[in-house]
Amino acid sequence: MSEEVRVAVLYGFGINCDHETKAVFDMVGASADRVHVNELVSQQTSLEDYDILAVPGGFSFGDHLGSGRLLGNRLRFTLRDSLKAFADAKKPIIGICNGFQVLVKTGLLPGPDTHEPDFVQRASLTLNDSGRYEDRWVTLEFDSESPCIWTKGITRMECPVRHGEGKFVMPHEADVAALESSHRVAVRYVDPVTPIGAHHTQVLPYPVSPNGSMHNIAGVCDSTGLIFGLMPHPEAVYAAWLHPNHTSGHAPAGQGDALEGWEGEGLQIFRNAVEHVRAHK
Amino acid sequence: MRDVRGDVVRRQLRADHGVSVENVRSICGYLISAETNSESIAARADDLFVDPIIEHGLTNTAALASDHFVDAPDVVVTIGFKPGVTDNPGKAATDGYLTLFPNDTAAKVATYITYAFYGVPETCVPEWLASTLHNGLIERALVGGKEACASGQWPELSFPTPPPQTFTPPQAVDLEVDDAALMTLSEQGLLALNLTEMKAIRDHFRDQTTQTARAAEGLPINAPTDVELECLAQTWSEHCKHKIFASKIHHVDTETGEDTVIDSLFKTHIMKPTHDMQNDVDWLLSVFHDNSGVIAWDDTWSVCMKAETHNSPSALDPYGGAMTGIVGVNRDILGTGLGARPIANTDVFCFGPPDWSGDLPENLFPPSRVLRGVHAGVRVGGNESGIPTVNGAIVFDDRYIGKPLVYCGTIGIMPSVLPDGRPSHVKTPQADDIVYMVGGRVGYDGIHGATFSSLELTEESPSSAVQIGDPITQKKMIDMILEARDAGLISCITDNGAGGLSSSIGEMAEYTNGCEIDLAAVPLKQAGLSPWEILVSESQERMTVAVQPHDQAAFEALANLHEVEATPVATFTSTGQFHVKYGEETVALLPIEFLHEGVPQLELESEWTRPNPTPFTPPSQADHSDLLLRMLARPNIASKETWVRQYDHEVIAQTAVKPFVGVARDGPGDAGLIAPIHGDPHGLVISCGIAPRYSDLDAGAMAAASIDEAVRNAVCVGLDVDKMAGLDNFCWPDPIESAKTPDGRFKLAQLVRANRELERVCRAYRLPCVSGKDSMKNDYGQGEGKISIPPTLLFSLFGDQPDVRFTATSDFKQPGDLIYLVGSSKDELGASELAFMLTEAGEAPGIGGQVPLLPHPEENLRTYRQLSRAIQQGAVRTAHDCSEGGVAVAVAEMCIGGRLGANIDVDGTGDADLWSRLWGESLGRFVVAVAPDQETNFLKTMAGHPTTVLGRVTEDAVFHVTDGHDAVIHLETDSMVHAWQATLAMGGASDE
Repeated sequence: MSEEVRVAVLYGFGINCDHETKAVFDMVGASADRVHVNELVSQQTSLEDYDILAVPGGFSFGDHLGSGRLLGNRLRFTLRDSLKAFADAKKPIIGICNGFQVLVKTGLLPGPDTHEPDFVQRASLTLNDSGRYEDRWVTLEFDSESPCIWTKGITRMECPVRHGEGKFVMPHEADVAALESSHRVAVRYVDPVTPIGAHHTQVLPYPVSPNGSMHNIAGVCDSTGLIFGLMPHPEAVYAAWLHPNHTSGHAPAGQGDALEGWEGEGLQIFRNAVEHVRAHK
Repeated sequence: MRDVRGDVVRRQLRADHGVSVENVRSICGYLISAETNSESIAARADDLFVDPIIEHGLTNTAALASDHFVDAPDVVVTIGFKPGVTDNPGKAATDGYLTLFPNDTAAKVATYITYAFYGVPETCVPEWLASTLHNGLIERALVGGKEACASGQWPELSFPTPPPQTFTPPQAVDLEVDDAALMTLSEQGLLALNLTEMKAIRDHFRDQTTQTARAAEGLPINAPTDVELECLAQTWSEHCKHKIFASKIHHVDTETGEDTVIDSLFKTHIMKPTHDMQNDVDWLLSVFHDNSGVIAWDDTWSVCMKAETHNSPSALDPYGGAMTGIVGVNRDILGTGLGARPIANTDVFCFGPPDWSGDLPENLFPPSRVLRGVHAGVRVGGNESGIPTVNGAIVFDDRYIGKPLVYCGTIGIMPSVLPDGRPSHVKTPQADDIVYMVGGRVGYDGIHGATFSSLELTEESPSSAVQIGDPITQKKMIDMILEARDAGLISCITDNGAGGLSSSIGEMAEYTNGCEIDLAAVPLKQAGLSPWEILVSESQERMTVAVQPHDQAAFEALANLHEVEATPVATFTSTGQFHVKYGEETVALLPIEFLHEGVPQLELESEWTRPNPTPFTPPSQADHSDLLLRMLARPNIASKETWVRQYDHEVIAQTAVKPFVGVARDGPGDAGLIAPIHGDPHGLVISCGIAPRYSDLDAGAMAAASIDEAVRNAVCVGLDVDKMAGLDNFCWPDPIESAKTPDGRFKLAQLVRANRELERVCRAYRLPCVSGKDSMKNDYGQGEGKISIPPTLLFSLFGDQPDVRFTATSDFKQPGDLIYLVGSSKDELGASELAFMLTEAGEAPGIGGQVPLLPHPEENLRTYRQLSRAIQQGAVRTAHDCSEGGVAVAVAEMCIGGRLGANIDVDGTGDADLWSRLWGESLGRFVVAVAPDQETNFLKTMAGHPTTVLGRVTEDAVFHVTDGHDAVIHLETDSMVHAWQATLAMGGASDE
C-alpha cells in the first residue's frame, strides 16, 4: 500500500452530494474529508494538504443567477491563488453536476489551451431545452483517446442525470470542434442502441440527450486531462443495487460482502484518479 | 440561443388554457439599491448578473428598447415580488454582490422577470395573460399592451421597499366584557378561540395568585397583554393543540343503537395501542411527544419520520405554501431528539381534476395551476435541500378544488448514540441553558399561520399567512446544526413552525419548567415589529436550539463558519413561568402549566347514519378492452411520471427502488426502498396508502384501506412486517356542528369510525403509529356554496428491509414467468375507480354498494409475512400492489413496466362476479410473477395462503385476459402505454 491519497470534498452553501462523494473516494482506498468552503477561505484548512479536489453536486446558492455562478465567484475571487497552486501542482480536480457548473463558471473548465488556468469563462451550462429539472438515467460514452485521467478505460456507462441546467454551450461551433479534436470532450450522451464509437455531433433527441447540449456533451476535461467535470452522477452508481434495473434477472445466490459482485460502474472514475495520484507520488 | 424560460410559458399557455402564442422571450431583471455608483456596478455586470456566454446584459437601460428586441412585442408583462415577500434570487444576488463589493454592506438586490409575447391572439387580454403568470397575493405585475409596446412605453417596477412597521408597545386587553364582545375580540383578532376558551383566559386573570405575580412584574393586573393573548391563541390553536382529537365526544350510532362517550380519540385509538405495542418490542424509541417518531433501525442507527400538511397556505399560494410545507417538515426531523439528518421526502397531493372546466369559486386557482404550483414548490424545496423524494401519490377528486391537500413527509436518520455518549433521541435541557434562535430572521410574514389554518378559507384570508421558503438558508443551517450535534453542543432543539418562538420556546420550556425570553434580542427582517408579532411570527428557516453556557463560544464559531445567524434570545429557568421581556420590560408572564394544560376540553356531538348513494351496477354490455384504456387514462390511475421525474429521487446515493421501474424506467414503483448507509445493503422501506373516496360509503373502511395499502406497497419490496411503524395524517372537513356546519355530527362520526378502524387494523398488523397530525378545517366558503373535502387519511409507513439486493419491482421481467394473484377478489365495487368513471359518464347509476372491507386483518398479516419472505429469499422479483382499477389495471401496469405481454385467466380468483374480479379493489391482494425455476420455492413459502395462478408473461407484448373460455380483454402493450402516459403530460417536455 503506497502513501495515503487525501481528497478534499468541498461542501457548504447548498452543495448536497458531499456525503456520497466522500464515501466513493473512501471506497476506492482514498482518505476523503468534507471541507467547508469557508475553512479554505479562512485558511483554517489548506488545499495544499490534499491530493485531489472534488466539487460535488447540489444547488449552491440555489443556482440563482445561473447554476454554479455564485459559488464559482466565491472560488474565483476568494480562493483563486490556492486553486491555481493546486492545478499547477498537477493535482486532479473533479466537478460533478453543480460542481461541473461551478468549474465552468470559474473558467477552470474547459480552460485555456495552455496548461495555466486563467479563470476565464469559455463555456456555459444553461437551462435544459425541456425547461425542466429531471432525474433520469442516461447512457454515456467516453472518448477512449481523451487525455482525461479520470475516464481511462471506461467505454460506456449508465448513470443518472439530475439537473435543470445541463445544456453545455460554447459561443461558436468551432470552439466545440476544437475541444473535440483535442479529445477533451471526455464523455457524451449516446443512444444505447447505436454502435460504440459512432459519434454524433448533431444533438440527439430528448431524452437520449436530456438537455440539448452542443454535440451531446456530458462532460469535458481541461488540456492537462487532470481537471474533469460532468453533469451525470457517477457517484450515484457506486453499487449495482442503485441501478434501476437491478431486480431484473435472478437475485444473487449468496450474501457475501456487500459490494462483492455488486460494485457499480461509477466507482471506476474515482479509482482512476486515486491510482493516478498514487502512481505520481 | 433558445429562450427556455419563455418557451415554458408558451407551452403552458397552450396546455392549460388552449391559448397559442407564437413566441415568448424573457428578461431577468435586477434592481440594486446600493452605495456603489452604477458605472462601477455596470463594469462588473458580467461577473455576476450576466452570463457572458449566453446572455446580453444592459444597465440602466430598458432591454426592450435595445437592439436585442427589434420587433415590438404584442404584450409585455413584468413581475416582481411585493415588498416584504421572500425573494430568494434577490437574496442570492445580494450575497454575490457582496463577494464583488465587500464594503457595500447595506446593498440589497431585488429581482423581477419580464416576458415579451409575440403573436398573441386578438382575443387574449394582456391583463389575463399577466394573471396566469403571477399571484397577486405575493407578486406585483405591470402590463403593457399593443399600444404601449408600439410606442415604447415599457413597464418599470420600483425597488420593493416594505412600508415601515409601526411599533406598538404591549397593551392590556380588557376581557371583562360580555360574551358577544369576547367573541368579537377573538374573531377580529384572528385568534380562533371559542367562547369557553376566552372565558378560561379571563378567569385566569381573575385569579388572586396570578394577580400577585403580575403586580410584581408591573403587568396589568387583571387583564392579559396583547402579547399574552396572542401567545395563548397560538398555543391553544386547533393546529397546535389538536382540540378535536382531544375532545370528549358523545357518539351515537343510528345503525347499532350505540350511545357512548369517547374521552379523546387520540388517547383512546392512537396513543393507547402504540403504548401497548411498546411493551412488546424494544425498537420503539420515541413516540408522539417529539417532532417525529423514532425507531431503532439497527444497533447503530435510529430512524424517524414525520408527515405534515400545508393545505391552507397551498390554496392561497400553491408554490410558496407547498415549499414551506416540505422545508418545514424537514425541520421537524432536524428538531427530533438532539437532531436527525433528513434523508428522504414523501409528497402526497390531493387536487381537483387537472382538466377542470367547471366554475371556480372566488379566489380559487384552477386545479392545473394548483398542481403546477404545488409541484414546483415541493420540487424546489426538496431538490435544493438535497433530500430525495422517494415516494408519494397524487389523488384527484372534484371536492379538492376548494382546498387542495398537500402532505409532505420526511424520514431522518441519526446515530443511536452521539460521540459524547448521549442517546440521540433524548433531549437533555437544563435550567440556565442558553436558547438560540438559529437560521432566518423574524419578519411580518407568517403572522397568524397557526390560527389562520384553524379557520376555513374565505375570500379575506390574509396574505401575511403566506410565505416562501428559502431552502439554501435552511441547508446551511442543517449542515451547521448536525455538526453542532456531533460536537455535543446541543442540549435541546426544536423547530420554529406554527406559533413561532411562542410555541418552540414554550414547548421546550416544559422540560425545565420555565424560560425567560428577550424579544428585543431577536434579529428582525425589518424594524418596527411589535412584541407580540415577534413572538408569534412564523417566519421560516428557524430552529430553536439550547446550548449549555460553556458551549456558547464553540456553537457561535460553528455558526460563523457556515454563515448562519445564531442569536441567544432566551434562557431556560425552573420558575414555572413563561416569562417574556422586551428589553427590561416584562410583556408576558404565563404559568407554563396554564399555557400548556389550561385549554378547556371541547365537548362534541357525533351521530353516525350510513350514507346511502345509489348502488353501482355495471352496464349490461361492455367492451372491457376499451374500459381498460379508459381506466388507464383516469387521472387517479394515469402515470405521474411527468411530475415525479422532476423530483430528485436519488441524491445521497441510496435509492434502491425508485419511483419508476422497468426496462424503460416508466413502470410504477410501489414503495421507496433506500440503503442509507453507503456500502451497506441494509434497507429501509417508505410507503403510503390513501383511499379518500371510500369515505363516500364509510370513513372507517377508508381508514382500513389506507393502512392496508401502505402495508401492501411496502410488502412488494420485501418489508420485514415485524418491524414497521406508521404515521396517521388526518385531513377532515370541519366536524363541529354549527350554523355553518349543519352536518357536523355526521362528519365527526366519520372521524370516530376512521379512528376505530385505525386502532383495529394497526393492532392486528402490530403496526404502531409513532407520529401523526390532523388538519380539521378543510372547507371552502360557507352555506350553499360550501365545498368540503372527502375525509382523507394518509397513512405513511416506514419499516425495515433486510437487504436491498433481494427486492422486487412491479415490471414483468421475462416471458414465461408465472403470474399469480395473492389474495382473493370479492364483490366490492362500491366507490371503486370504475364505479366513479362509469357514473360520471352516465353509464352506471351510482357509486354506492359494498366498499372494500378488511374483515380478518390478522390473516392478511400472515400472508404478507410469507410474501415478503419469498421476496427476501429471491424467489419473487416481480410484485405489484393491486388497488385502484383492480387486477386488470395492476397487470396492465406490469406489462407496461416490462414492455411485455401477459396471458391471464381471471376465473377462480374469488367468488365474485367478473366485474369485481377484473376491476374490484378488494384489499389484501398482490399480483406477482415468478420465474419457472422458482415456482416450487414460491408455492412452498405461500402454502396455506390464498395464491391463484393467473397465467404467464408473454413476449408478444399483448395483454390477453380470459374468464374461463371467454376472451374479455385483448390489448397491445403499446396502446396501454400511450393511454397511461398521455393524461398528465400537460404540455410535455417539448413540442412533439
